Amino acid sequence: MKPRWKGKGSQAKANADPMSKIVSQLQSSLIQSETRGLLSSCSVLVEVDAELADLLNRSCFGRPRITAQEDKQWFQLDMEEAFYLCFSLKCLKVIGEDGYIKSNEELWDYLKSKKPVFPVSYKVYSHLRHKNWVVRSGLQYGVDFVAYCHHPVLVHSEYAVLVLSEGDNDLNGRLRVWSDVHCTVRLCGSVAKTLLTVIVNSNNQGANSPSCLEHYTVEEQTITRWNPERSREDQTGPKNGTKKV
Amino acid sequence: MMPRWKGKGLQAKANADPMSKIVSQLQSSLIQFETRGLLSSCSVLVEVDAELADLLNRSCFGRPRITAQEDKQWFQLDMEEAFYLCFSLKCLKVIGEDGSIKSNEELWDYFKSKKLVFPVSYKVYSHLRHKNWVVRSGLQYGVDFVAYRHHPALVHSEYAVLALSEGDNDLNGRLRVWSDVHCTVRLCGSVAKTLLTVIVNSNNQGANSPSCLEHYTVEQRTITRWNPERSREDQTGPKNGTKKGVTRF
Repeated sequence: MKPRWKGKGSQAKANADPMSKIVSQLQSSLIQSETRGLLSSCSVLVEVDAELADLLNRSCFGRPRITAQEDKQWFQLDMEEAFYLCFSLKCLKVIGEDGYIKSNEELWDYLKSKKPVFPVSYKVYSHLRHKNWVVRSGLQYGVDFVAYCHHPVLVHSEYAVLVLSEGDNDLNGRLRVWSDVHCTVRLCGSVAKTLLTVIVNSNNQGANSPSCLEHYTVEEQTITRWNPERSREDQTGPKNGTKKV
Repeated sequence: MMPRWKGKGLQAKANADPMSKIVSQLQSSLIQFETRGLLSSCSVLVEVDAELADLLNRSCFGRPRITAQEDKQWFQLDMEEAFYLCFSLKCLKVIGEDGSIKSNEELWDYFKSKKLVFPVSYKVYSHLRHKNWVVRSGLQYGVDFVAYRHHPALVHSEYAVLALSEGDNDLNGRLRVWSDVHCTVRLCGSVAKTLLTVIVNSNNQGANSPSCLEHYTVEQRTITRWNPERSREDQTGPKNGTKKGVTRF
């Protein structure tokens, strides 16, 4: 499915300014400013200046939060976003409620305690981010994530992503029954997205520490409706008389 | 939620010809003709004449199937529809693949073997049918059933129904996680239906025979989005200047 760009020039603009470069700039900037995030329930809050705010917006990490402060801006990062910056990009450190910097292992344990499926969810998030997809929450579309090939301002999201797991504990909550498959495919269709299931196999590595992640394998499957009418081989002379291959 | 009739005069038409009466006519007619259904995998096939075909269509049981036969018509009944006619309305008998009539217990066991959640699904189906709702498959809307106030030709369906269970084995496949709740509510909204969950509690009666059903209890819950903007108490002077009252459900 080809990306649907939002207006003329968006594709060129995106090609001139690839997401990989923007993320890289964000990474450097966060390291240089030694930014610290504050752990708050299921989010991480970061205080940033105008330059970092701009990079966070352009790379689509976090959401700006309105505060009474005028000179500084605060961003709220989801669990997966925060852990990606800490563990994969190694450009952020997170301070716990006790005032101490959390190690990656401590952060991992904490986030797992808040969300039992975090290891699988994170594997999917990081898998897509590593491929330079912009990954955001998909909750309003009834899925886990939505994936864009560049900034949402420039392009419509192509994929509605559901995180599933194979083997180990069956923590899957979705697509266990046919009615859910129909529901999800239909909703995705109505918002012009393809349903993408990303199935994580932990290969019996467990989830004790983030180092387990590199042994997880990932399989991607799209689920779409097959329409017999549109899939006929011989398509000479359909209604409007055009020959289609 | 008020029923949305598909045109002027249709509500009057429905009132003049209540579903309870149509179903009752179907029941009498099936008994009179000693109709026999044929068990075929997960369906029951019935051969009917024009009068019965008309009653089946008007009461919304089964789907007509096209065959090579010209004088007789065949209808395909879903499991719940067939069992309702056999067990609740006692107007149909079903013949198994071995050629003999299945008792209700045998039919129950057979359907359970095809569909593990059949007891719960059937309880929901019969619960709604007893209240004279027209109940059809909801699969194309991503739910278990859709419920209409009368025939679908006259009225739009109001409820998208999910059959859930409480207690016993947790065979629930839906609404286990928030993303599914959002997905379902959003889809229901886009097709102008209210999500209705019907939660069946077997009260530890098990599911060994259809006689267990009468001890199951049923709880109905609608799930809708709560919109803070539309639910404000003081609604004087919104954008278009109209005063709106608070709607209480």
